[in-house]
Amino acid sequence: MKVVPSRSSEWVRPVTSQRPASTIIGIDRVSQVFQTSTRKDHVALSDISLTIDEGAFVSILGPSGCGKSTLLYIVGGFVSPTRGTARMKGQPITGPGPDRGPVFQEFALFPWKTVLGNVMYGPRQQGVRATEAEAQSRMLIQMVGLKGYENFYPKELSGGMKQRVALARTLAYHPEVLLMDEPFGALDAHTRTRLQNDLLNIWERDRKTVLFVTHSVDEAVFLSDKVVMMSKSPGRIREVIDIDLPRPRRRNELLLDPRYQKYVVEIERMFDESDEVGSAS
Amino acid sequence: MTRRAAPVLACVGLLAVWQIASLALESDSFPTALEAIRTIPDILGDKESLINILASLRRMTIGFGIAVLVSIPLGLSMGRSRAVAAFFNPLLMVVYPVPKAALMPIIMLWLGVGDITKTLVIFLGVSLPVIYHSFEGAKAVEEKMLWSGAAMGLSPLQRLVRIVLPAALPEILTGCRTGLVLALITMITSEMIARQSGAGNILFNALDMGQYDTVYAMIIIVGAMGICLDAAFERIRARLVRWSEPQFDMPLSFS
Repeated sequence: MKVVPSRSSEWVRPVTSQRPASTIIGIDRVSQVFQTSTRKDHVALSDISLTIDEGAFVSILGPSGCGKSTLLYIVGGFVSPTRGTARMKGQPITGPGPDRGPVFQEFALFPWKTVLGNVMYGPRQQGVRATEAEAQSRMLIQMVGLKGYENFYPKELSGGMKQRVALARTLAYHPEVLLMDEPFGALDAHTRTRLQNDLLNIWERDRKTVLFVTHSVDEAVFLSDKVVMMSKSPGRIREVIDIDLPRPRRRNELLLDPRYQKYVVEIERMFDESDEVGSAS
Repeated sequence: MTRRAAPVLACVGLLAVWQIASLALESDSFPTALEAIRTIPDILGDKESLINILASLRRMTIGFGIAVLVSIPLGLSMGRSRAVAAFFNPLLMVVYPVPKAALMPIIMLWLGVGDITKTLVIFLGVSLPVIYHSFEGAKAVEEKMLWSGAAMGLSPLQRLVRIVLPAALPEILTGCRTGLVLALITMITSEMIARQSGAGNILFNALDMGQYDTVYAMIIIVGAMGICLDAAFERIRARLVRWSEPQFDMPLSFS
């Protein structure tokens, strides 16, 4: 088994986590092969092994087509890997479940339901009484900053607001792991920044495990405890980098922090290198 | 105000053109609009005619109702399952271009000229557009929406009923609206072929006997039935899928 070297030794060890971390997600030698329309095999993921600690914010960073979303879908149970296994708390993942809540770039809200109806959907499915589900959902809607929009339909909302609803809808059924698939990828820069800040604020309250797929280096460094860098064709883990920056993180402070800048520059440099290798071959 | 008045004006305009054309042509087989309209109360006041029209409506309701109840689940299943689609697609491809009225002689041989035959023809006419639109609607449902539902713990059947059905509803109702008009058309056609009772029966009997006032009056009555049914359906549809409508819409109905 190829062991992926961690760069963490080059940086100061993290001091943020107090309790001993236990593994919540284990990905063991996972490969994913798709058959393309020309009947050629396309290796989306090749021999991926990765463990994710409970309560960690982990980003999977990579260029488009490196299979980072596919990896997330495998953990979600939406896609079965061609080889290897993904485990949640030691149990092999065989399908989707409420312990792993997805948030997609496309929002995937239920357009026939109001904001409140969308957020209540999960708890109601889990058998929570209507009055209780409604009270909880209203609180969540307030938490994501959408108080007053409870009775709006998704089509009446902007992209950023839709993604807030999607986040609230997923949080409403209390998943142990949040699976975020480029959630801010379809938003403009300003909205994106605001949602990143709000996501961090919400995350810092209960420190749920988050697996966050992105192609933005800034976003990955700003949000994460750990950044998993992937390279493409075939999709492999290139590097796992611990991000040792103090929490709670404030964007205006962080942008001026030389450590933050160093992470960003270093990661970008590594991507440039791999691009050169890619273009030479 | 103008929005409500426009369709009425269009009807009045059409009747006016009819009136003038008929006066100009002076043909026995082309009564004036006024003559035709004056005949309507006679038809609607006649018990025999009323029984005929109600029989038509009953067959249409049953045919349309059963067709919708069968076609929506079938179309949705086809849209979400390759296996179901592969099984039913060739079958529907063969039936689709055949005029349903052309099947009537065969159906009459088996089932006689009564209600069952006519209702079956209406059923066939309505089924195909409803299946097709349900199929297309179900196929277009976003995969991620279903994944979101699966993560909440919805079983495949629950996803079909509680996600695919509502998500595809605008498309399904478009199919039903086409189906409703086809129900009216197949209703009259079936009564034309197997004359025994119904609105079509009155119309074609009058034609045979040269009662052209009645022929044209029946065309108005059937037309009005179509307009009213469509308008009523459009109201229900608009209520059900308000969430999907664009803010400004061009109304294409009399509702």
